[in-house]
Amino acid sequence: MAAIDQTGGAAQAAPDRARPREKTLRRRSPALRRAFPYLLVAPAVIYLLGITLYPGAYAVYQSFYLVRFTEWIPVGFDNYVELAGDAEFWQAMLNTLLIGGIALTVECVIAMALAFFAYRDALIRGWRIAFLMPMLFMPSAVAFIWKLAFNDGRVISDLLRKLGLIEGNLDFLGNIWLARTTLIVADVWQWTPFLFIIFVAALQSQDQEVEEAARLDGASWPAIFWNISLPMIRPVIAVAVVLRGIDIMTMFTNVFILTKGTPGGMTETISYFIYRQGFQTFNFGYASAAAVVMLVITILAAQLVVKRAFKSGKT
Amino acid sequence: MARIELKDVVKRYGGFTGVRRMDLDIADEEFLVLLGPSGCGKTTTMRMIAGLEVPSEGEVVIGGEVVNEVDARDRDVAMVFQGYALYPNMSIYENIRFPLRMRGIPKADQDRLIRRAAEMVELGDFLDRKPGALSGGQRQRAALARAVVRQPQVFLMDEPLSNLDAKLRSSMRVQIKHLQRQLKITTVYVTHDQIEAMTLADRIVIMEKGAIRQIGTPDEIYSDPADTFVAGFIGAPPMNLVEGLAENGRFAAPGLVVACPGGVSGRVTLGVRPEDCHVVGEGLAALEGRVYGVEPTGETTYLTLRTGETLFEVKAARDARFNLGDLVRIGFDPDRLCYFDTETGARLRVQPYRSVA
Repeated sequence: MAAIDQTGGAAQAAPDRARPREKTLRRRSPALRRAFPYLLVAPAVIYLLGITLYPGAYAVYQSFYLVRFTEWIPVGFDNYVELAGDAEFWQAMLNTLLIGGIALTVECVIAMALAFFAYRDALIRGWRIAFLMPMLFMPSAVAFIWKLAFNDGRVISDLLRKLGLIEGNLDFLGNIWLARTTLIVADVWQWTPFLFIIFVAALQSQDQEVEEAARLDGASWPAIFWNISLPMIRPVIAVAVVLRGIDIMTMFTNVFILTKGTPGGMTETISYFIYRQGFQTFNFGYASAAAVVMLVITILAAQLVVKRAFKSGKT
Repeated sequence: MARIELKDVVKRYGGFTGVRRMDLDIADEEFLVLLGPSGCGKTTTMRMIAGLEVPSEGEVVIGGEVVNEVDARDRDVAMVFQGYALYPNMSIYENIRFPLRMRGIPKADQDRLIRRAAEMVELGDFLDRKPGALSGGQRQRAALARAVVRQPQVFLMDEPLSNLDAKLRSSMRVQIKHLQRQLKITTVYVTHDQIEAMTLADRIVIMEKGAIRQIGTPDEIYSDPADTFVAGFIGAPPMNLVEGLAENGRFAAPGLVVACPGGVSGRVTLGVRPEDCHVVGEGLAALEGRVYGVEPTGETTYLTLRTGETLFEVKAARDARFNLGDLVRIGFDPDRLCYFDTETGARLRVQPYRSVA
């Protein structure tokens, strides 16, 4: 009996509480009610469209014109045709791939090695946020420090000489690969922690029973890592590499501050090429065309990596 | 193929003691079950044998060798985990091959061993699949195959059946026991399910709060419990425990009077299994109570009687039917009564016990 009374009471009480809410809903028109969720997200969408889609579309539009400040002359695909034959553009593309590819590989290897040694440690788990420090510094400030170390202040050169590794001074801007190395070192220093954090998190989130099973099956830590951990976290690696890859393809700050493309344009990245075309020679249409080409290449490459990593990770 | 000894083993986690002073001798080829409620230290004990935990004190000896300092991978111990712990990126074939590969078994022998192990657990048709494409029971058998493939010295199983449904569990139980008898591998099996323990074990170790309460064959554990914890833990429904007073060869509690051995006196607890109770006529009754519940199960009928403050379970005939509130008289099988010290819970051994065997 007591149970029946209780439910009866609850059934009576419920509509009382629901009624005022129902009233406010009923006052809205059906159209408004359907539009309501969209209205809620509208400000964010408008903001995002305004700062990403509009400039992007504008760049595509501009790439079909020869722009002389206020004068826009439609030229069709001329800008793209010219790009295809521009040795400087292709050199910049090659530089970007070389510098970015090497930097990304080195970052991945170092980050994965550190993660492998560190992820079982409780201390790392607690303090992994500390490893984000280099990422928190302003990129331009970091670039100036490297400029001081490599070029203006000759800190690195002096250190190497004191260690007896070189004689005389090393001019980091006087040699193609030394100049590229400075860019690689700067990027590796700043961004390895990012990959390290992601890899540590991925390794720590593995099923611990699986690791223990592998140990009992006679696998050493490196064997477990190679045979089980690495294949299992492959999708995470792919996403991290894509994020970092996109970032590295647009490398600009370090180039602008450290090398300005010297020697002889051999450290000029695509971003710096676009900057030079747009803001030094004021060839906006041409710069836009280069930007569009880079965008397309980046999207295709990212798509390919993610797709492959996820497909082979499944079934 | 190996005897396992635990000598004064203690495991502490900071201030918490997981396993306290454990002494255990597991014979070669024995099937030993560690049984107890959650958090009693049974899994920790097994993990110390596996080498996944290091004992804080004491020695773990496998095959005559102290293995405290030996890494898990060098102990030649195979383990089946509760969550199966198959390698999700490898096919079942590769999963079973992994321990062979890691131990450098020649390639020529690998295929034969894998197929034999897969046959043993009837998994031959699924070797190409990934673990994700198998059912729970198939995964469990894959985990078993991976464990048996390299003929380890010791077999450890950590609640391997707890993720399976009831029907599958009973068929896997038979399979595991058959496998163990066939391979003659010393096996330690952890469970909180007493049916698994009773059916599988050569000997059962009952643990509570990190300590061993009783070690014995399933028969001993069931019929001759060492204390009230074991008596109340084993059996479904468990042993009835009634607190009362014993003096001059008579045990009395509200609604219950029974003759007891002369050596028993003071505040004691009487233990009697539901199946050692019989519905009797007036005059023969040791206990009178009113029916509180009737549960027919088909093969038998469980009666719950209320006597004084306590509820008393009786296993009655399959056609026994009573109404709630009926007065029922119960007689006991006098040889099967157990007496415990109410204060400590320990068994009072005053009468020669009649063995079931």
